[in-house]
Amino acid sequence: MNNYTLVAIIIIYLAVLFYIAFLAEKKRQSKWVNNPYVYTLSLAVYCSAWTYYGSVGIAANSGINFLPIYLGPVIAAPLWIVVLRKIIRISKQHKISSIADFISLRYGNNRFLGALVTIVCLFGTLPYISLQLKAVSETFEIMSDDTSYISTTVIDDSTFYVALLLAIFATFFGTQNADASEKHKGIIASVAFESVLKLVFFLIIGAYVTFYLFDGTTDIYNQISITENFKELTTLSGVEDGFNWLFLIGLSFMAIFLLPRQFQVSVLENNREKHLKKAIWLFPLYLLLFNIFVIFIAWAGKLTFGSTENAEYYSLLLPLENGNSFLATLVFLGGFSAVISMVIVSTLALSTMVSNNLIIPYGFLDKFIKNQPERNSKYIKSIRRISIFTIIITAYFFYVSFSKELSLYSIGLISFVIIAQLAPSFFIGLYWNRGSSKAAVAGIIVGFLIAVYTLVLPFTIQAYTGTDDFTQYGLLGVSELKPYALFGIDFLSPPAHAFFWSMTFNLMSYLVFSLISKGNYRERNYAEMFVDSKNFSTLQDSALVWKGEAYVSDIKSVLVRFLGEKRATRALTIFFTKYKLPQDTQLADARLINFSEKLLTGSIGSASAKILIASVVKEEQISLVEVLKILEESKENIVSNKVLLEKSKELSQLSSKLKDANEELISKDKQKDEFLDTVAHELKTPITGIRAATELLMDEDDDMPKEIKAQFLKNILQDSDRLGRLIHNILDFEKLETGRLNLDMQYHDIQKTITKAISSISQIAAKKDVKIINKNLHVFSTNYDEDRILQVLTNLLSNAIKFCEPNTGEIIIDYKLGNEMVEISVTDNGKGIPVEDHDFIFDKFYQSQDQNTRKPQGSGLGLAITKQIVDKHNGKIWAKKGLKNGATLVFTIPFK
Amino acid sequence: MKKRHEQKLVVLSIALFLIFNVPFILVFNFEGAVFGVPTLYFSIFSIWLLSIVISYIVLKRHYE
Repeated sequence: MNNYTLVAIIIIYLAVLFYIAFLAEKKRQSKWVNNPYVYTLSLAVYCSAWTYYGSVGIAANSGINFLPIYLGPVIAAPLWIVVLRKIIRISKQHKISSIADFISLRYGNNRFLGALVTIVCLFGTLPYISLQLKAVSETFEIMSDDTSYISTTVIDDSTFYVALLLAIFATFFGTQNADASEKHKGIIASVAFESVLKLVFFLIIGAYVTFYLFDGTTDIYNQISITENFKELTTLSGVEDGFNWLFLIGLSFMAIFLLPRQFQVSVLENNREKHLKKAIWLFPLYLLLFNIFVIFIAWAGKLTFGSTENAEYYSLLLPLENGNSFLATLVFLGGFSAVISMVIVSTLALSTMVSNNLIIPYGFLDKFIKNQPERNSKYIKSIRRISIFTIIITAYFFYVSFSKELSLYSIGLISFVIIAQLAPSFFIGLYWNRGSSKAAVAGIIVGFLIAVYTLVLPFTIQAYTGTDDFTQYGLLGVSELKPYALFGIDFLSPPAHAFFWSMTFNLMSYLVFSLISKGNYRERNYAEMFVDSKNFSTLQDSALVWKGEAYVSDIKSVLVRFLGEKRATRALTIFFTKYKLPQDTQLADARLINFSEKLLTGSIGSASAKILIASVVKEEQISLVEVLKILEESKENIVSNKVLLEKSKELSQLSSKLKDANEELISKDKQKDEFLDTVAHELKTPITGIRAATELLMDEDDDMPKEIKAQFLKNILQDSDRLGRLIHNILDFEKLETGRLNLDMQYHDIQKTITKAISSISQIAAKKDVKIINKNLHVFSTNYDEDRILQVLTNLLSNAIKFCEPNTGEIIIDYKLGNEMVEISVTDNGKGIPVEDHDFIFDKFYQSQDQNTRKPQGSGLGLAITKQIVDKHNGKIWAKKGLKNGATLVFTIPFK
Repeated sequence: MKKRHEQKLVVLSIALFLIFNVPFILVFNFEGAVFGVPTLYFSIFSIWLLSIVISYIVLKRHYE
């Protein structure tokens, strides 16, 4: 393809990316920018040119070793729910803007540690960026017709210009805000877009090679499996190889957390914690899709070209070989996307670190204090912009001097090993509060030096001297010091070997130093905040222990320098309102110190923020013991607050229960009163009758006719009968209602009981000439208290008789079986129950309206007692509604 | 998400670590192919996919 066409394609593609980033910045709140898919796709910045081209190279040359780079993240992904979420929470809480900030803050805002982490990250990332440039340059060469063209100077090397374009892109979207903890939505959106492209194009080329050029996976396998050394490509060669494998997995496990670009996208650019829900399963799926066709492209290339010299670019060479330059362009663009996203996110992350943890705290602070706010933010932005350019250009020169000889894979692994040196202080520091800053520094330095000795030095020396004496014979000819086989451990691959030694010493130094040297109080304070982040996040600004003399006006003047008058005043107003302090507070407390440090952290890094604030306040030294005591107390306060809250909840529940109970009692009492009133009234009526009759009999002894006398005596007898019945009923009812009655449950035949009830009442019925029909003559036996059910039946029957017309009255008693209950009904053809009475007939002393006009015929307790008895049997009783004439009363007795 | 369900994912991660490393990985370490995919690759990819499905189910059910 023509060189100019290719350049035009690159420029058009970059323009598209610019446009996407621009749109995303403009619509920062849009759903298209803030969703879990964009988050997951931005994590895929992990798949750089190394994945895109390097994997195929490894698969063709040394087999399965490209996989552990992805297995580490696959193992790590489920852990994210615990680990990454904790990191995200802490970072949000402290407004952290880079991994250097994160680690240095954990160890008491240690300035030196932040700088050290930055340097390690620089060493780890520069080769990585140069790897990307190498891929761009080499693919460019392959794509252009001019294969003999070799750039001799920087000026006519197209890679240099590509690097510059990337730097401009990163500068434009990465440094819009002086506060680096702000989100970079434009960059993230373009990264997500590129992640889609690179995956889709890689899958397309994979499918093209496998199913178009060859006849499916089996075809490739059958052809390749008869070639030499095939076994090595598909299996591990034994336990020694297994160790390499293990260390590579460990390496990539750490890298997915620690690589500056991964920290940037997974932690700093995380909008919502819940996006993790998707990312945890979607990201491994993305990686899986990316790896499926790797072996087939590698083998297809091997079969087509014979040699594995240019194996890394098989995915480009295969379509070109078959004359499909369109497909090759797609692949080129996919690889280019992988490069752009990696380079941009990495430089963004690195430039923040370089400015916030290296340049500003070590040189520009004094200047900043004197400067005007507008100029300060301008300065900060320019420092970052210059850093971005410097980083990319340094990476370019690294590529020119070293990377040409090295494979993508080996450069990538060098980066991983160097970055992994942060692991002990990062991971252990998250869960162990004793890890101290001295130990972190010692561990990182020791590990870094070993990694340099065992991995970086050999190829550097070789590049300069042209001999491999150093690797062959070791330092000064001592064979124990051979960089690829320290102390005779020679079975590991160089990266695994370097990882093993550096990590061992790093880890041990970290652990041992942590235990020997006690950190100072400030360190321990931050350690507690990180380790116990859940508890301390509720403490918020009070989590920082601080004692001394400070004035709000001094702190405000520092804030104003970096945030500007308006933002500083607003921030302080918010602070005072939040903690309910008067707006004109003069003395600053620990919370304000912590709050202001956090405010500044985003702009100038945590170390500088601490130094700046410390410069305007007079801090008193506190002993470690005191710090721990204060922390313990505030934690206990939280706990006891929680306990108090729970207690008060319980109490309020209890009081509402009491209230209910009280109301019930009051209503019961009222009912009782009403009951007594009614009982008294009911008792008074017959007594009045008796008394009146007796008086008459006594007064007019002689001249009363005998019949009248007899009539009076009969009345007295009737009334005392009624009185007796009433008292009996009241006692009975009382017994039932207070639950003092125990049922005598026996196995009886319901039919016999009905017959008994009918015969006991038959005299009364006969007197009124009412017919009683026992309809269901079948035998059915169940458990119940016969005497009581008899009482119920007689009651219902006598009621029925009462309301029947003489001579024509007819009562039907019937029973049916239902679901685990027997339903007994008593139906009469009397005047029926008025609709308005239906709900009340079972209430005690309820007498139907029209009965008031006559002398009441019952005690008013009959149906109430009946209901109580049925209830006691766990049955139900009701009057059927909607009957045209007559009444039907039904009750049930359950059985099992 | 309740602690218990978070721990399901942690255990998944531990299981993956064990199964992807020696000596477990050597169980699948022999020649041969399934649908043209060598056995070792095929087993790793299957376990990989399985872990995705498991995390998906756990998160779908229990993430609040």
